[in-house]
Amino acid sequence: MSIRRQELSSKQLALILLLPSILIILCVVIGPLIFAFYLSFFKAEPIIGGISTKFIGFSNYIHYFLKDPLFWSSVRVTSYFTVVSLVIELILGISIALVLNKSFIGRSFVRSIILLPWALPTVVNARMWEWIYAGSSFGALNGLMKVLHIFPADYDKVWLGFDVPLQNIPLIGNFMEWVGASTALNMIILADTWKVTPLVTLLVLAALQTFPDSLYEAAGIDGASSWHQFWNITLPLLRPVLLVVLVLRTMELFRVFDIIYILMQYSIRVVGVYTFETGMKFLNFGRGSALSFLVGLFILGISLIYVKLLYSEEV
Amino acid sequence: MRKLFLALLMIGVLLVSGAFTALAAEEINVIYMAQAAYQPNEIRDMADLFEELSNIKVNLEFVKYDEQHEKVVASAVAPIPTYDVFSLDLIWTAEFASKGFCVAIDDYMSPAVKEDIAPAIMDAFVFDGKTWAMPFLANFQLFFYNIDMIKKAGFDAAPKTLEEMVEQMEAIKAKGICKYPWTDSWNQKEGLTCEYVWLTGAFGGDTFDKDAKPIFNTGPGLKALEFMVMLLDKGLASPKSLTNDEPAARDDFIAGNAAFTSNWTFQYGSMNDPSISKVVGAGKMGLLPIAKDVLGKYTYETASVSGFQGAAILANSKNKEAAWKYVRFITSPIVQRAYLTEMPVWTSVQTSAYAKTMDPVIDVKAKEIASVHHRPKVPPYPEVSSILQRYIHSALTGKMEPKAALDKAKTEIEAVMGL
Repeated sequence: MSIRRQELSSKQLALILLLPSILIILCVVIGPLIFAFYLSFFKAEPIIGGISTKFIGFSNYIHYFLKDPLFWSSVRVTSYFTVVSLVIELILGISIALVLNKSFIGRSFVRSIILLPWALPTVVNARMWEWIYAGSSFGALNGLMKVLHIFPADYDKVWLGFDVPLQNIPLIGNFMEWVGASTALNMIILADTWKVTPLVTLLVLAALQTFPDSLYEAAGIDGASSWHQFWNITLPLLRPVLLVVLVLRTMELFRVFDIIYILMQYSIRVVGVYTFETGMKFLNFGRGSALSFLVGLFILGISLIYVKLLYSEEV
Repeated sequence: MRKLFLALLMIGVLLVSGAFTALAAEEINVIYMAQAAYQPNEIRDMADLFEELSNIKVNLEFVKYDEQHEKVVASAVAPIPTYDVFSLDLIWTAEFASKGFCVAIDDYMSPAVKEDIAPAIMDAFVFDGKTWAMPFLANFQLFFYNIDMIKKAGFDAAPKTLEEMVEQMEAIKAKGICKYPWTDSWNQKEGLTCEYVWLTGAFGGDTFDKDAKPIFNTGPGLKALEFMVMLLDKGLASPKSLTNDEPAARDDFIAGNAAFTSNWTFQYGSMNDPSISKVVGAGKMGLLPIAKDVLGKYTYETASVSGFQGAAILANSKNKEAAWKYVRFITSPIVQRAYLTEMPVWTSVQTSAYAKTMDPVIDVKAKEIASVHHRPKVPPYPEVSSILQRYIHSALTGKMEPKAALDKAKTEIEAVMGL
């Protein structure tokens, strides 16, 4: 009898302990999500004391899919930002992790400070790079260029400018313009990648440390070069970690907002900025909600593709 | 169980007693922007005096200009508002009035009040025949020029027309006195619309007509954009202008990197501050020049753009009477006389001997403020302004021709306004 009572009360205890978290998630996450989904089928605007709604079905979604060129240029810019950032992060992250996997003097020190950029809040990171990229003589990057004698003493480059890079090269220039790339966007990619690469490094390093040395020794005996070893042993083994990194980073990069909004306000319209502008600045709640769900659908689609390509049951 | 019950009872009693003490004294919540114009400590001083005189407690909250709009909307939508009084930027008048967010104050104002405020200032807050805020901050743009650079280039005085200014700029650039004589805040933000509006005024017109229909793609509006593009093409305007906001444009001027600029009243103080300015004595403030063929149209031969802020009361506030007392106090002539760092809105104060002693340039300011042009007064203003900014900026960066850009902007704006 006493044992049965203990079983029940442990389940009850679990429920009671979980209840606050469940309540918070319901109110702060699930509730607004459902409300936003509901609003996306209405023409919704704020009025005094509440929100006025008028049912219009799928009109908001159709507007963005078929009638709004700004939406598609926004998707293009965000995709460019995501793809270029991912490529740089992956290459840099894996390389650094490979280096950190070897033993050298001061390795534990380097391993501990590598996480510092990741620890910065995104807003602080954005403000810091705002000062570095300032287009006048007191911008840190301009100052550095002058000290290294790459720039003459009176030349100040406006780093966050809107000129399209590689404009003059025939195909690449046209592609850059179509996608909406600008010098500003490229510099922001650098700023964001600097902050996030440590995360990729950490995840890959953790995975690398579980790989048995025997695999590499056997490959070495068979005469495989280090590039071969990397390509045929390390990369396939890294697949699960790469899947995690890709899904995580793609989601976050597609949703990018802080750094772009703080540095460029509304002039680079990535989907996050566009949604914020439509919903919060133009006070068009219906359209803003529809836009955010469309973006969610995109990210879901990309993640499904990743899982299809990279998921494997066995190592 | 009994202990739990007692604990809950204690908490309940504390909450209820707390609520009662809150109701005892009247209290209002005010949100205000902490940027240009009156500084937070000045607003706090005004509020302290008001508390002494009226026994109404005033809670102040300061936010950046850009954040104000969202916070006021959030407060308006809530059943219990967070704020009672807020600073209404004139560009939100149409939007907030049509949504019913603020209280019409015509009944609160006496005829003496209406007489003593110039129509140009009062008009900014009128929509649909009613007044929606008390004019509080009269911010507007002025002309700033470096007289030393002008004299070095061989001219005597500041230019009176835009054509003269271009002539002086070309001479200044040719003689190597300054690489980019013109700087301004042409980044893709609300400031760009302001610059465009005063330039359209300088070419003799407005961006929207009396019936609030867009007309900026022909005549003065088109000439204004072509003028801006010309300054960039000829290398007279710094390419940095395209990423400058107003503080950055001021920094360019007070560091001695520009000969001419247009900026809000706050630049005057920074320009004459020896601790940050390199052009103390050389930097002067004057009336913005207009195009040659517009001479004779305006009383003071100048055009400017308004950046007024009014003190308004939220419609769902529970303390409207207390809020109006506060509004009336901070906008009163006595308070404005005490804080002459900002242009007073009352004609009696503007023309008083006291103001002339405290602010020697108040004559210039009075002429400029009487010549302001307003930005379009339409309910979907944020979207209209965003479209204008986008297309003007693409013309300035050379991605589109001015006429094509303005035509497309007009089509999109008409779609948004439902015309």
